[in-house]
Formats: sequence, C-alpha cells, structure tokens
Amino acid sequence: MAMNGLRRTDGLMGDNLEAREAVGDYKAGWHDPENSTIRFDFGLSEEVVREISNLKNEPSWMTEMRVKAFNHFIERPMPKWGNTHLLEEIDFDKICYYLRSSESTERDWEDVPDDIRNTFERLGIPEAEQKWLSGVTAQYESEAVYHSIREDLEEQGVIFLDMDSGLRDFPEIVKKWFCSVVPLTDNKFAALNTAVWSGGSFIYVPKGVHVEMPVQAYFRINAKNMGQFERTLIIADEGSSIHYVEGCTAPSYSTDSLHSAVVELVALPGSHIRYSTIQNWSSNVYNLVTKRGIAHENAKIEWVDGNIGSKLTMKYPAVILKGEGSHAEVISVAYSGDGQHQDAGAKIHHLASNTTSKILSKSISKSGGRGSYRGMVTVSPKADNCKLNVVCDALILDEDSRSDTYPTMEVSNPTARCEHEASVSKVSDDQLFYLMSRGHSEEESLAMIVNGFFEPFTRELPMEYAVELNQLMALEMEGSIG
Amino acid sequence: MIILDSASKYLNLGEPSRSSHLWKYTPWKRVHPSGNIGEIPTLSKPKLSLSLLDGSDAPDGITLIEGGMNEVDLPETDELTHSFLEAISEYSKWTLKVDRGFNSAKPVILEIEAGDKASSCHISLDIGEAAEIEIVTKVTGGKDWFGLLRTGEVGSGTILNDVLIGLMERGTMLRTDSISVGRDAQVRAGTVSSGSEKTKSDVRFRMGQIGGSVRVLGSILSTESMHLDHHVEIHHDAPQTFSRLSWHSACGGDSRTVGTGMLRVSDGSKGADAAQIFHNLLLSKKAEADSIPELEVMEHDVVGCGHGTANGPIDEQQMFYLEARGLDKQEAKRTLIAAFLNSTLSEMGSELLHEWLVSELTKKLDSLES
Repeated sequence: MAMNGLRRTDGLMGDNLEAREAVGDYKAGWHDPENSTIRFDFGLSEEVVREISNLKNEPSWMTEMRVKAFNHFIERPMPKWGNTHLLEEIDFDKICYYLRSSESTERDWEDVPDDIRNTFERLGIPEAEQKWLSGVTAQYESEAVYHSIREDLEEQGVIFLDMDSGLRDFPEIVKKWFCSVVPLTDNKFAALNTAVWSGGSFIYVPKGVHVEMPVQAYFRINAKNMGQFERTLIIADEGSSIHYVEGCTAPSYSTDSLHSAVVELVALPGSHIRYSTIQNWSSNVYNLVTKRGIAHENAKIEWVDGNIGSKLTMKYPAVILKGEGSHAEVISVAYSGDGQHQDAGAKIHHLASNTTSKILSKSISKSGGRGSYRGMVTVSPKADNCKLNVVCDALILDEDSRSDTYPTMEVSNPTARCEHEASVSKVSDDQLFYLMSRGHSEEESLAMIVNGFFEPFTRELPMEYAVELNQLMALEMEGSIG
Repeated sequence: MIILDSASKYLNLGEPSRSSHLWKYTPWKRVHPSGNIGEIPTLSKPKLSLSLLDGSDAPDGITLIEGGMNEVDLPETDELTHSFLEAISEYSKWTLKVDRGFNSAKPVILEIEAGDKASSCHISLDIGEAAEIEIVTKVTGGKDWFGLLRTGEVGSGTILNDVLIGLMERGTMLRTDSISVGRDAQVRAGTVSSGSEKTKSDVRFRMGQIGGSVRVLGSILSTESMHLDHHVEIHHDAPQTFSRLSWHSACGGDSRTVGTGMLRVSDGSKGADAAQIFHNLLLSKKAEADSIPELEVMEHDVVGCGHGTANGPIDEQQMFYLEARGLDKQEAKRTLIAAFLNSTLSEMGSELLHEWLVSELTKKLDSLES
C-alpha cells in the first residue's frame, strides 16, 4: 500500500534479529521480536493522523478533532518549565506513531497471538484476572489485544471496552464526553494524544452499580522508538463506583520511547472513581501524561499514583471539584533512580462550596535521581467552606540525588481552610541504628524504612500490587549501601 | 566577552514569560513606571536621611555616602528588575557603610522620602565584620512610583536586624534586594508592608560561607485594592547554614497578596537547616492570597528542609472570646489581625524596634474596612 510520506507494512515482518539489550535490574526489561501487522514510518504529519483515523474507520467528527489537535500540537511550543533540557531531547520525527501487532481484540487469552500472550503471562496478567479482577484490557503497542469483563457486570449494564470499540459501539456517549475534561488545547502533549490516540479504556458504570472488584488495564510497549498514546474515558453515573487499576512496562532499549496518555474521569453525582496506577516504564521512556477528573455533587475521585520507572515523568493528576460536597484525593509516590526525573504532583480546583481535598505525595531520590513535586490547589471565590490539605515528604538517599517541591496555592475565598506542609530529609540514623541493633543488615534496614515511608500509598493498593511494590523497592535498595 | 551596561542588559532581556511563577501574578508591564517596557525613564532622586529612631544624629561608625561600590558574591538575582533598577538609578546611588566592630544599642533609621514624582535609588550595603546593629529603612511619600535596589554584603560575625517598612501613600513600589551573608553572620530581615497600591518585591540572600544564618520575616497588611507581590529566595551555598522564612499576610478589601519563596540548598551544604512558612489571613470575600513555597534540595546530609502554608479566615472562637470580654466586633477583629501580624513583627528585632513598628502599623490598621 503506497502512500505519500507513509509506509505501512501489511503482513508479518518476521523475527527482529536485533540483539537483546542489557536490561539490568529492571524485571520487565526483556523484549520480544517485533511482529507487526501494520507499522507506520517514523514521524508525524496530518496524513499520519488521517490515516490512523481511516484505519480505525472512525466517524468524521473524530477525524476532524484529530486534525485540529495535530495543528495545535504543531503550533504549541514545548513547555518552558519542568525539565526543559530532557524535553528538548525528544525527537518527534524518530517516533513510530502507530503499530498494530494483532488483527483484533480478543475476549479469550487463547486467541491472542502466542508471542503477545506469552508477554502478558510473564507479567502475570491472566493469572491476576482469574483471581481478583472484574475485567481486564491488555494493550500491546497501539492497540488493545485482549479484553474481557465479568458477565454479571455486563448484565448490569457496565460497559468496559477498549476505547476504539467504545467509539464504534457507543459513538454518542463518546462524543458527549471525549475532550470534555481535557480539551485538545489543554497542553502540547494532550494535543498530541488527541491527534494520534489509539487504544485505552472506555468505561461506563450505570446508576447505582458498584463494581466491587477492580478492573485492570495493562499497557506494554515492545517495539523500539515507539509512541504509545492511549486514551481512557471513565464515566461513573449517579451513585455508582468503580476502581480502575493500570500498570505499564516496556523493554529497556538504548533509544527513547514516548508514552503520552490522556485520562478523563467523569464522576456524576454521588459516584466514586478510584484510579490506581503503577507506572514502571523502563528508563528509556518519556512518560508525559495528562490525567484529570470532574467530580459532580457529592462525588469522589481518588488518584492513587505510583511512579517507579521512566526517564522523565511529567504527570499531575487533577480533579475539578465542580459539584457541592465533592471530594478529591491524590496519593502518590515516586522513586527516582539513576538518570531518572520524576516530576509528579497533583492539581485540585475547588469550584463549589463544601468541597474537600487531600494530597499526599512521597518521593525518594537515589543514585543521582531527581524527584520533584509540582502541585496546584485553587479555591474559587464562590466556593465557600472548602478544606484542603497537602503533605509532601521526600527522602534523599545519597549525595548525588536531589529533591524539589514547587507547590502553588491560590485562595480566593476567606472561608477556605488550606494547609500545606512539606519536608525533605535523609534517612534517620536513629531509625537505621534501631533496626540494625535488632539483627537486620543495613541494606535490609534501609529497605524497611523505605517501605515504611511508602506505606500510606501501598495500603491503598490491592494486595497483589502492594506486595509487588514492596518487592520492587527492596530490589531497588539492593546495593545502595557502601 | 562583551560586558553590557545595565540599560543594554535590560533592553536585551525582553518581556518575561508569565509561565515563570515570578511573573505569573504581577506582569512586568503592570509594575514598569510607564507601562511601556521598552522605555528606561529618567526618574527623580528621593531624599535620604540617616538618624537614630528617636530622631537624634546617627552615631559614628555608620554613614550614608553618596555613590555606589563594587560588590561580589551576590546571590543570583532576577536580571530584569536588577538591571532595570540599576539603569534608572545610575545617578541615585548611595552606600550605607557600617564600620567593623560597630555596636549600637539603639536602632538606626534610614528614611527615604520618595516624593510626589516617580523616583528610585540604589543602596549598597557595606556592613563590616563583627558589628551589631539594627537598621530600619522607612519608605514614605511616593504617590507615583518608587524603585529600590539594595545590594551588598554582611560581614563575618555580624549580627544585623534589617527591617524595611513600606508606607507609601499610593502608587507602585518595585524592590529588589540581593545580599550576601558572611561567615557566622546572623541576619534578621523584616518586611513590613502596608503602603503602595502595587508592590513587586524580590528579596534574595546568599549564604556562601560556613555558619551563616538568615531569618526572613514578613508582616503584610493589604487593604482596598492593593496588590502586594513578595518573592523571597534564600540560597544555602555553604555547610552549617541556617534559614527560616516566616511570612504573615492579612488581606482585606478586594486586595491580593502573593507570597513566593524559594529555599535552595546546593550540593555540599552539609548540615543545612532550612524552613519556610506562609500564613494568610483572608478578611473579606473579595480578597485573594496566593502562596508558592518552593524547595530545591541538592544535598542529602541536611538537618532538615521543609515548608508549609496555611490559609484561613479569622477564627470564630477567638472572636467570640474577645467579644465575651466586652470588645465590639470591630475591636475584636482589629485585635486578632494585629496579633496575627505581630507574631512575625515581634521577631524582627529588639523590644524598642518592635514598639516602634507596632505604633507604625497600628495607624494603618485603622484604615481597614470593617
């Protein structure tokens, strides 16, 4: 299929014989041979954007929205704040914006191509689904390859689809809410996502339905120089609740990949959405994500956000408290190791009266890593009796590392009660001495202190994730003494 | 390398981006004397006088000399306001010199009468070693625009209480301080602000030698439609350095206060101890208070680095308590605001200085709308 400036490869490309690269301690750092059915050439143009839309057979409004977003992305300069040095290193012409490895989204693991299924089995996804999940979507490169939901939830009217299927099967709902929380002009990377989005989850929970067990999405980048741009939209109707969990991994390559997702949450009156993330991208991935939710009357939105991997993360989960009595919570942890910069934080906008919010941010910097908390809290003049509390704690484990906090608080209502506190410190010698005097090695003691430091976060995670995170942190602490 | 003079440096910089928090709330256009940022206007010279707080002559050992001095080791400043103020104050420079070992039990006051027309001055601080002194800089008059640039250094082992009180009738005040703190020197830097319609202030300290200590304190009262924007930076560039930033703002009317702070602990500043806190008391429905307390820590072996901010209204229970003891609503409110501002005011210096500051601020409190 010949197109100007575009090259797609139809049919299997065969094994990629490139030597496996060193993966270090990163457990998910292997990569499989790239078997793509469709792969675009590197680089971005309006033609690429239109071709993605065409491949997906999308309605014309979506195509036009993509093109508009693409034009905005081109016009909008790179952010002049944050780690501008690393941002400038992104070469948008050396990224593949669309790669499909499977012909369709399957509902049975047995139907997923062997190599992709093996990947997810190594990551433990099918096993987790059987044990403790209400539904799973697994995304490999640009497209969801597996998708399922428990039958009883489907019968209650819960919609849990990959975003492409959501647009195809429920175009009116998608049209109503898509870009309603994160406009395509919001920021450069939200514009990029809107232009080239592919995959992600679409969830609608009907009135009064409580999805008791979490639903999970797992995102895997396998190819080199890949861009993954999933789009997630979750709508919780009145009085409903849902817990969504996502995990992300990628192979360790020497060249960079880009993950730029947009997540929109709509919590209608009295509903509750909890969105948990364990981001464990390899250290060659730029993770530039826009996550935002709108909470209507008495609704509650919680972001539980763990950032362990990636080269540069810029992610500030946000909540707009639009309805009276609504509540927002953001609990986040960030670990910055060698060459990593975790620029994470939270934004909460109190637009209505009697709204409350809480931000708890914890970060650890080690081996030259840099952890930054960047947050914003605003209280509008019409929002009476709001209460908000922000706590940021940071640990610096060695002399090469650094920690920053950049909080902003804008309060325009005299009845608001706002508190913010932050501290940066090293591991207490007294705590280390106490644990070592009880027979632990210095390394074990440090790992215990770090896990204790992260405990307010891990206790909010499903048990399997919490155990995994503790093990991951223990692994990261290995070799940190002496 | 070409060294540009201040005017050329300023003109080369262009308009600052509002994406930087330093210019987010108060764009440069709003504080420039004419609003035309490409212009470097010729301004009047303010009147400066030095005396003791009781009006008697300043003692020997402290002198105000017309003309500037060369300075080194200053903290990194905001280039734009620094070069602009330097350019417009080229013919309005003074040096405040304190001799080595000078000691005065009585506070010294430097009065700056800004005049009716736009004016500016550049004061170089040359505070000698092992001195002990309290200096109050009082800015009055100034119905139009006043610019103040203070640069200089505090000598090793010196104990300095340095308070600036801004009591301009109206207009705009632009202030930039860039001060280097010597070994084991102890500086308390107070800002009392309740004048001028607009204030844009940028105060920076650098502790480049071991054992320096800086306490920065602010008592800010904004009323009517005032817009008071204060930025404070403290740079820990040496081991065993200590800093505290405590900023109290009470905002009434439809005024707005902005408090931004930056504590930067550089690599190698072992044993640094840094903390900052912003407290905002909102007194009316239309008032707004914004705080951005920032931290950048590049040294892991620190005693501690922290920051906090808290906003809230006047406490109902405290009001009730005072009203139950016979104070009317207005008196009770005024008492609580005074107490709130006094918590930082009382830390700024000696009892004598404190009493004087309270009397100055009390006059301003009367103008606060109920």
